[in-house]
Amino acid sequence: MTLNVPVYASKTLASSFTDEEYAKFCEFFYRKTGISFNGKKRYFVERRLLERMAEAASASFRDYFGLLRFQASGTELQCLVNLMTVNETYFFREDYQFEVLTNFILPEVVRARRQGDHVRIWSMPCSTGEEPYSIALHILENWARADEYAIEILGSDIDSRVLEVARAGIYGFRSLQRLSPDVRGKYFSKISGDSFQLRNEIRESVDFSLVNIIDPLHTNRYRQVDVIFCRNLLIYFDDASRRQAVEYLYECLNPGGFICLGHSESMSRISPLFGPRKFADTIVYQKPIKEGLGP
Amino acid sequence: MLVRRTETDDPNPPALSKDAWIAQFSAPDPALRRRAVRALDSSAKSIDALIAQLGEETAPSVRSAIFNALSNAATPRAVESLLLQLRSEDAALRNGAIDALQTLPQLVGPHVERLLADPDPDVRISAVSILSALAHPDIPKWLADVVRRDANVNVCAAAVDALAEAGDEAAVEAIAALPERFPGVPYIAFAVAATVRRIKGL
Repeated sequence: MTLNVPVYASKTLASSFTDEEYAKFCEFFYRKTGISFNGKKRYFVERRLLERMAEAASASFRDYFGLLRFQASGTELQCLVNLMTVNETYFFREDYQFEVLTNFILPEVVRARRQGDHVRIWSMPCSTGEEPYSIALHILENWARADEYAIEILGSDIDSRVLEVARAGIYGFRSLQRLSPDVRGKYFSKISGDSFQLRNEIRESVDFSLVNIIDPLHTNRYRQVDVIFCRNLLIYFDDASRRQAVEYLYECLNPGGFICLGHSESMSRISPLFGPRKFADTIVYQKPIKEGLGP
Repeated sequence: MLVRRTETDDPNPPALSKDAWIAQFSAPDPALRRRAVRALDSSAKSIDALIAQLGEETAPSVRSAIFNALSNAATPRAVESLLLQLRSEDAALRNGAIDALQTLPQLVGPHVERLLADPDPDVRISAVSILSALAHPDIPKWLADVVRRDANVNVCAAAVDALAEAGDEAAVEAIAALPERFPGVPYIAFAVAATVRRIKGL
């Protein structure tokens, strides 16, 4: 049905959209962000749409969709993206990708390398450090060949404040809840009631740095990277910035290197330069080993 | 074992003249050609060099870098150069230009009516493709005019598809009349029904 109240004045409206309206929104949102919503998320999506419609004083889905579709600044779309995405971070979040890392990606990366060679993994954005540290812990716990190579883990973010938190490596229980008691006991020291600090040798092995991903003066410092974790970042960029960021990430990777995006993101909407690879139930994206000629 | 990264030399590009960077377009390594693309600015000389290279370039990553550079330049000259690519025989060049032009609504706007009146239907289809993702308030009107007036069934079909997302009630009458203009084309009847349903939200 078409919403027919003059202005959405409340965030608690229980109204919904027609199937056509919902499909129209989902197709548009996917084209703009690469985020795909399935039917199971309809309630979640509709609630947030209604919330933004109220904020934007839109009288109908049609009005609000027009704002999203034609606003040159993209401000409203950005507000909606912020609302649709979860900025939560904790240890071993979406850890099926770490399983893919140790079961498939790293064995492929080191296939042509000798013992002692470097393997470089970049977490961007790293926020308060949970992701790069999760990568470190997962490798130590799950990759039997970890001792054969010099594994560099880099963490970068545009926000200097989160980098300070990352370097300190102090987390509350909520951040650690997905870690087994064994892993928690092995790598963390309790420093107060709800605060745990990661062991020094792990903290000191991760190199944290301030990076703006669309500034080449920053990204030029990152070369010969084997695996990039760039999860839930590109969705916040407009089309031009997103392509620019991907171009720079391409430059940072070794030939045959991999990019892991967030579970609902897709590179195919952004750039044709990477090839999709399916490992288990996860799709990651690979830079060609040798660049072919154009079509 | 985990090791901390040892700082490497700053690989920022050296300071070369514009001509020296342009000369790097003949380097055999695509990475060097990409670096040259990024080193150029948005001056007319740089834009012309980028466009000239686009015609010669075979590496997709360098082409992609050139399109990004032209999009970032956001100058009328860059837009005019991108518009010329719509006539290319190379589909990858046409698609790259369309993607880049979609990011420049204010600069593309003044060219739209001329593009939609182009005698070449392939150029008109490319123009509709640009409109399909351009953030410009005149999109519904432009697309509805295509449906109303264009004599080519493929151009009209592309416009109907684009209107499914961008269309408004004012376009419905023109869209609904389209099957009468192309009675022997089953796809048109199907696309019109789907688009009208989508616009009405029913």
